[in-house]
Amino acid sequence: MSSASNQSILELSRVSYAYERSRPFIRELSFSVGEGDFIGLLGANGSGKSTIMKLASGLLRPSSGGVSLWGKSLAELRHRDRAKLISYLPQTLDISVPFTIRELVAMGLYPYDIPPAMSVGDALEMTGLTDKADAHLTDLSGGERRRTFIAMTLLQGAGLLMLDEPMANLDIKYQIELVKLLRKLRASRNISVVMALHDINIALQFEKVMLIKEGSLIGAGPPDEVLSRAMLKQAFEVDVDIRRSGGEGVYISYADHF
Amino acid sequence: MSRAKITALILLAFMIFLCALFLGPRTINPAALTDVEREILFKIRLPRVLVAFLMGMALGASGAVLQGVLRNPLADPYILGISSGASLTAALGIIGGLSFLGAFTVPVLAFVGAVATGGIVGVMGWKRGGLWPERLLLAGVGLSFLFSALLMVLMSVSTDEGLRRAMLWIFGDLSLSDWQRVPYGAVLVFAGLAVSVTRAKALNALILGDELAHSLGFAPRRERFVLFVSVGLLTAASVSLGGMIGFIGLLLPHIMRFFIGSDSRMLVPASALGGGSLLCIADLVSRSVLPPMELPAGVVTAIIGAPYFLYLLRRKDVLSF
Amino acid sequence: MKKTMIFILLAIGMAFAVPDAGLALPPQRIVSLAPSTTEILFAMGLGDRIVGVTNYCDYPEEAKKKPKIGGMSNPSLEAVVALKPDVVVMTTDGNPKEFEALLRSLHIRTVVFTARRISELPMGIRDLGAALQVRDSAERLAAGIEQGLQRLGAASRLAPDASRQKVLYIVWPEPLIVAGPGTAIDDAITLLGRKNIASAAASEYPKYSLEEVLREAPDIILIGKGSGMDMVEVSRGMLKRLTSVPAVRNNNICYLGDGLYRLGPRVVQGIEELAQCLEQRSRR
Repeated sequence: MSSASNQSILELSRVSYAYERSRPFIRELSFSVGEGDFIGLLGANGSGKSTIMKLASGLLRPSSGGVSLWGKSLAELRHRDRAKLISYLPQTLDISVPFTIRELVAMGLYPYDIPPAMSVGDALEMTGLTDKADAHLTDLSGGERRRTFIAMTLLQGAGLLMLDEPMANLDIKYQIELVKLLRKLRASRNISVVMALHDINIALQFEKVMLIKEGSLIGAGPPDEVLSRAMLKQAFEVDVDIRRSGGEGVYISYADHF
Repeated sequence: MSRAKITALILLAFMIFLCALFLGPRTINPAALTDVEREILFKIRLPRVLVAFLMGMALGASGAVLQGVLRNPLADPYILGISSGASLTAALGIIGGLSFLGAFTVPVLAFVGAVATGGIVGVMGWKRGGLWPERLLLAGVGLSFLFSALLMVLMSVSTDEGLRRAMLWIFGDLSLSDWQRVPYGAVLVFAGLAVSVTRAKALNALILGDELAHSLGFAPRRERFVLFVSVGLLTAASVSLGGMIGFIGLLLPHIMRFFIGSDSRMLVPASALGGGSLLCIADLVSRSVLPPMELPAGVVTAIIGAPYFLYLLRRKDVLSF
Repeated sequence: MKKTMIFILLAIGMAFAVPDAGLALPPQRIVSLAPSTTEILFAMGLGDRIVGVTNYCDYPEEAKKKPKIGGMSNPSLEAVVALKPDVVVMTTDGNPKEFEALLRSLHIRTVVFTARRISELPMGIRDLGAALQVRDSAERLAAGIEQGLQRLGAASRLAPDASRQKVLYIVWPEPLIVAGPGTAIDDAITLLGRKNIASAAASEYPKYSLEEVLREAPDIILIGKGSGMDMVEVSRGMLKRLTSVPAVRNNNICYLGDGLYRLGPRVVQGIEELAQCLEQRSRR
């Protein structure tokens, strides 16, 4: 994935993983993420997107193969040091305890004994949550909830953000808002993003995508190349067509299926 | 802000402690102590109020920790079956008339029962190298049913007199508090509190779920195990200090969340202080309303606490779930 | 219409005729549902006719050999019925009321012993004797108890300073449960002219405040016998906390038998034991 110009920050080499008492789910998977990458991870339900992200962030331990972050082996990193490099946000973020937004965001400082330069206020500011600092999660919109946890990872100082279907419950306005925010953070804080998503229209806006099928990487590169009719058919087992209207507009035609 | 609140809470707890010490079936004026009053104050009231405070601290703190560890706002230290196990062994001692350790027999039996039950629940809740909240809860509830049934068997075959004593113990009895209980109670309770408070960041993270906890740099399974052990010790200590006293473990943390917020670093010590204070008040009431008779303190905690909790519940801003 | 009424009346009469027929003959098969009534029945010479007792009926010795029907508060209906009793003797002090209704619905005759105080005991025994058609032996037993009570009461009135002695009867030391108002023990202490410091408590066997004991400073502490345990051992911890109380300071502590726990023939014996203790301790 990484081009020659940018440094590789995440490297999976021949990683295999099997859930308890079953055949290997991920087999000999290798890929790398370069600094400044903004990658969309696509694949059918159950294709292994979440598993791959969890392996990359250390939440799951590979049964064989290795993961390294900024050249350091993930297995040898202390939990706190790993948290300063990579952050994984799961798809569902339901929390039964009424923490305030400020309290939640401040948890991003947990890996540190000496607080880093960024303050809770800065993180709230950057994510546009300053007004909501004393509110509870339940008072927030879906988009604001996502941003709360992104603010948390900002304080954490993680250079690589793994987002597991952050758009799942967002309407189109918040989807756009989220992508814009992440792009802004990439520019200002040098943060790389890997995001699992389902919406192929959104994925077409990314610079790079990775297509997963049954635990294997079947394609990686610019969306124009990877998200072809043939590849989509292979990954999702449906025949859809990608149409471009004029200069910018891109959409997927499902016409044959309805 | 929260420091001011904690200071206010400490002052309040201290005042309640003093009230519990000097008020009672009869008021004692510390400035003019008679011999009998001095005796009552130092031999009976001081150890009793200390034990009540320690026990309340253990219940409040373990409730706050457990609700986070199990990610369940309805969890309390008794839901894991630890108290039923303790009640069973204690009742065995009371009804069977065991006294191999003198006055310590029943507290020690209760402690052993509590720790053993905690161990069984832990084993049942263990899967793939970690404790699973749902498994822990279900194992606890299952064991509770079993132990309650065994307790009923024991009670059915016991004499009416033994039965009454067992009931008194099970419903919480602070009248047995003497100086002997203070040191071991203090060691266990402060040890459990120290672990809980030093692991409070991890507890906050666990409340967010194992995935986020891991992302924030914790090893969720290890943290949950450590906190589970500390809750087990706190609960065992509380049960062995004064039997079973309800309400504090379940609802006091919710009341404290209203005043101090949800951050475990504040909530756990605040719940400990609040629990200690509430149990001191309840014990004060229980020995003062019908003197010279004493009511079970557990009944009083619920009678004082439950209406207040329900009042808070009616105010919509208190609980977010 | 009239015929129907007569038929109903007849039917009701028949229904009652069955137990009434039993009344004509002295009952031959008696089940006793309380240790106290078991003792009374034996004392009235009905031991041979007792076919069932509770698990706790341990006096006299023969009572232990009788078939058991369960506890006082939870007797087994099946076990009672299986013994085919002519009559079941119950008490209001320990047996559930519902159990009597159950027995009646099965046409089993019940006799309820209602005495709860020492003063009611002789009358209760006479009533029980009348119901079981052993009036003479009941009368002898009751009269003997009356005489004993009179003798003990009179003797105590002669004892010097008796009325100034404060007494506490401990049923169980930890938690502290004492004999309060309305108990045979309270009656006995009053009969002997002493003051029970717990006589103003709110229930019969209250869980008692330890600091009130220190305040009331009883001169004599009586400790009852409890479920076969070594009461000296069991009480040690509690007494250690009462060292400033005159009774403990002067070692005026008596360990008594269970005579006063059961309102039966051994009550006089129990009061005598109590009187003896009080007398010895006041002489010191």
